[in-house]
Amino acid sequence: MTATTRSPAPVLECRDVTVRFGAVVAVNSVSVDVPPSTIIGLVGPNGAGKSTLFSVLSGLHRPNAGRVRFEGRDITGLPAARRARLGLARTFQRPEVFAGLTVREHIQLAYRVATRRRRIWTDMVTARGFRPADRAETEQVALLLDALNLGDLADRPVAGLSLGMLRLVEIARALATNPKVLLLDEPSSGLDDQETEQVVQVFRMAVERQGVSLLLVEHDVAMVMGLCSRIHVLDFGTKIGEGTPAEIRSNKAVRAAYLGDEGAIGRGPAEITVQPQAPEVVS
Amino acid sequence: MLAYIYAGVALGSIYAISVSGIVVTYVSSGVLNFAFGSLAYFLARFYYYLNTEHGWSQIPAVVVAVFLAGPALGAFLYLALFRHLRLASQLIKIVTCIGVSVALPALALMVFGNATIDSAPGLASEPVRVYRVFGAPLNLNEVIALVSVLVVVVLGTLVLQFTDVGLRVRAMVDSEALTSLSGVSPTRISLCVWMVTTTLAGFAGVLVAPSKGLTPDGMTQLMAAAFAAVVAARLRNLPVAVGVAMAMGIVTDVIQKYLPANSSLTHAILVSIPTFVMAAFLLAYILASGKIHDGSATGGALDQAIRPTGGDSASASAAAAVVKSRTGWSLYMLGPVIIIGIVALLPLVLEGYWLTLLAGGLAFGVVFLSFTVVVGEGGMIWLCQAAFAGCGAVVTAQFATNHGMHPLLAALLGAVIATPIGVVVGLLTIRLGNLYVALVSLTVGMLADNLIFTRQTFYQDGVGVPVSRPGFAVDDRAFAYLTLAVFVIIAIFVVNLRRSTTGQALAAVRYSEPGARTVGLSLLGMKLLVSAISTFIAAVGGSLVALNYQSALPTTYATFGGLVWLAVLVTVGLRSITAALLAGLMFTLTPGIFQTYLPTSWGNVPTLLFGLGAVGLAIDPDGVVAQYARHIQALIGKVASRRGSTEPDPPGGGDGPTTDTSGVAQHALGATR
Repeated sequence: MTATTRSPAPVLECRDVTVRFGAVVAVNSVSVDVPPSTIIGLVGPNGAGKSTLFSVLSGLHRPNAGRVRFEGRDITGLPAARRARLGLARTFQRPEVFAGLTVREHIQLAYRVATRRRRIWTDMVTARGFRPADRAETEQVALLLDALNLGDLADRPVAGLSLGMLRLVEIARALATNPKVLLLDEPSSGLDDQETEQVVQVFRMAVERQGVSLLLVEHDVAMVMGLCSRIHVLDFGTKIGEGTPAEIRSNKAVRAAYLGDEGAIGRGPAEITVQPQAPEVVS
Repeated sequence: MLAYIYAGVALGSIYAISVSGIVVTYVSSGVLNFAFGSLAYFLARFYYYLNTEHGWSQIPAVVVAVFLAGPALGAFLYLALFRHLRLASQLIKIVTCIGVSVALPALALMVFGNATIDSAPGLASEPVRVYRVFGAPLNLNEVIALVSVLVVVVLGTLVLQFTDVGLRVRAMVDSEALTSLSGVSPTRISLCVWMVTTTLAGFAGVLVAPSKGLTPDGMTQLMAAAFAAVVAARLRNLPVAVGVAMAMGIVTDVIQKYLPANSSLTHAILVSIPTFVMAAFLLAYILASGKIHDGSATGGALDQAIRPTGGDSASASAAAAVVKSRTGWSLYMLGPVIIIGIVALLPLVLEGYWLTLLAGGLAFGVVFLSFTVVVGEGGMIWLCQAAFAGCGAVVTAQFATNHGMHPLLAALLGAVIATPIGVVVGLLTIRLGNLYVALVSLTVGMLADNLIFTRQTFYQDGVGVPVSRPGFAVDDRAFAYLTLAVFVIIAIFVVNLRRSTTGQALAAVRYSEPGARTVGLSLLGMKLLVSAISTFIAAVGGSLVALNYQSALPTTYATFGGLVWLAVLVTVGLRSITAALLAGLMFTLTPGIFQTYLPTSWGNVPTLLFGLGAVGLAIDPDGVVAQYARHIQALIGKVASRRGSTEPDPPGGGDGPTTDTSGVAQHALGATR
């Protein structure tokens, strides 16, 4: 009997996903695997198709071709809400928050949908609206508020909060759903260095302590290189590279896509700010 | 046969002119003009005033009433109202249009007189000349309608395709933002479009008046028929809309050849044709592609990028007001309790006529709570709440009077029977988006008016089916308290709903559908829940109104009347429990005050004011109650801060770029207590 080492089955995978908007091919036969308890990066210039692929993975957009599997189950035809209940959470490039809810309510709602779904229907006839939340929920919500330093804003409506704060609210809301995979669309955009460091710590904790897998779209190359164990690179809808951060650094196609002849992938983060401007496809 | 075809082509031509106006307005300014019928009525009434009542000949009358007053009215409406709504949510746009549609007929009645007009002349002089074409009669009014639609289509196509103005209009349809960046003023283009389309509305009104009558209801039916073609054209495809409109007109007249004359079945089929057309196209589109879009994402990438998430201008203070009503306990919650307490004293001090009006107002307050739930909490504009209220009323009367059931049990049964109807309407429309919900619900309401409420079983020669009040609430005072008790019970239910997980989920769906879906919420499930609850409440309220009048008279629940109800509630505040109560009282007491203390000619002023109040939503989306509540809160805040209880500015709340995430005021559509 011989022992063979096999990589764990991916918790989320997409195979040959293609998305077209009329004549424009936004995503062209892209395959990505997200193994358990790992952080995978998805990078590329504007218009590369990253957000469109996220929409396909989260169920907001139906692909023209290809399949999406979650824990081995084909979820290509499942709506976004069903995928979320399976454990697939996401944040948005442009935060999709609920303006009339407080920060605390965002987390509460996500937590209840994930753990006490029946309350959506029963609360209205059991007068729960007039009673305080239970202890387990209160503790869980407080934990997330503290982890993302949102405690001072907990009871404020999210309308009027800064972009950075809205990103933190979205991240907290996504984590409150007890996800198995979390899709993060530019989570550090709008955050200052200290806030970015804080969310990085939260991401690491989520992966190490809760076994969450992260798929990260991010323009902060330093963050991606530091966090991700594996990186996929898209350019104009096509995957042009895949590998470890070191492999991506040395990938000529990736360097060309990012900075033309100036390969700056290996340089410091401050220098990696210029990106080729192509129209972003809105899914 | 040819005679039917000629008449059908003429009717189809009028529909086609109407859909041209509606589609062009929508694609160029994003406003689906629910006031089209009222614009048509106002201008056609002006034509009648000049032509019939003051003896002007047809040509000068139509020039002044349609071709001068039409553009002027369109320009006024655009500059005063719709210019400010370019980035507003569909909800705001629809409610503003409804405000206009309520105010204009009332204004017309005040300015031109409130004489009942059973038959109105067209553009041809009387007696109308009749030609024989291929052996069949064709009258001059029909010829004018046909020539008019040809002129509109040909001239419109030439202007849009071959002129600089047309190029600018088409550019703005594709992307208003990019057109603006190219140095073209979107305001000027939209202004021109509104002037032209309002003129088309007036022209269609004058043309249709001889066959449909010169009444607001008749013009609303014209608009509802045109909406069927607009839905067939997916709101944007003008050639398809014109083609379907023509076909619908021809079918409507040709089918009469094969149906028995003066039959209720014939009438039922004819009035149902636009509904069948709309339903057939909706089903076809849904089956073909799984869903259809309501066009809320019109414009180019730049337009979508600058469009505020979830609505319009941010209003953190309005959001704070929304939140305060839903979370925790505070002194602010005393406000509604005090107001209900004051209202509870009124039956003790009012007598006779005023007590009857008070009881009626309380019953309407219950109906208005259904709008509070479906529009305020669900974020959907349902325009057939009056039909649901009427359904509750007629069922109550049938069971209570004809089957000897206790009136309250009958009312409950009426609500239970009405609720699945609301769910079915919701099931058919919710996936399609807010515009389609409004369009289809308006058509359903019109269908109920024409098919159900006109039946002799319910209509009873205009007196309705009598229904007795419960034995313990026969007199007005006791009935007022019974109605207030029902209101309070439902209000507590709504407050609990709002504060519970259900309320949070509804708010989530209202503010961000993608966000809600990726949290795991079913949009359809949440909105169906709201549909069911609001239909139930509307039916209970309708039953109480019938019990108050002691008769279930179907005309009380006309769809156009339902638009007035919505206008009244919007004036006071759409998300406020207190506002629903005050709006109900205002709806019955204000006309009573006008009738008692002011000249008869002022009788339409309350309706005009209600319409203007709803129009005010374009300027301040929160309604009167919310405005005053915020002023009082601000005053309390100032007093508190003077006492030194200043709150430190929380991190992230002040500095840095803020994202317009809310449209809270616009979406909340009112205060929340």
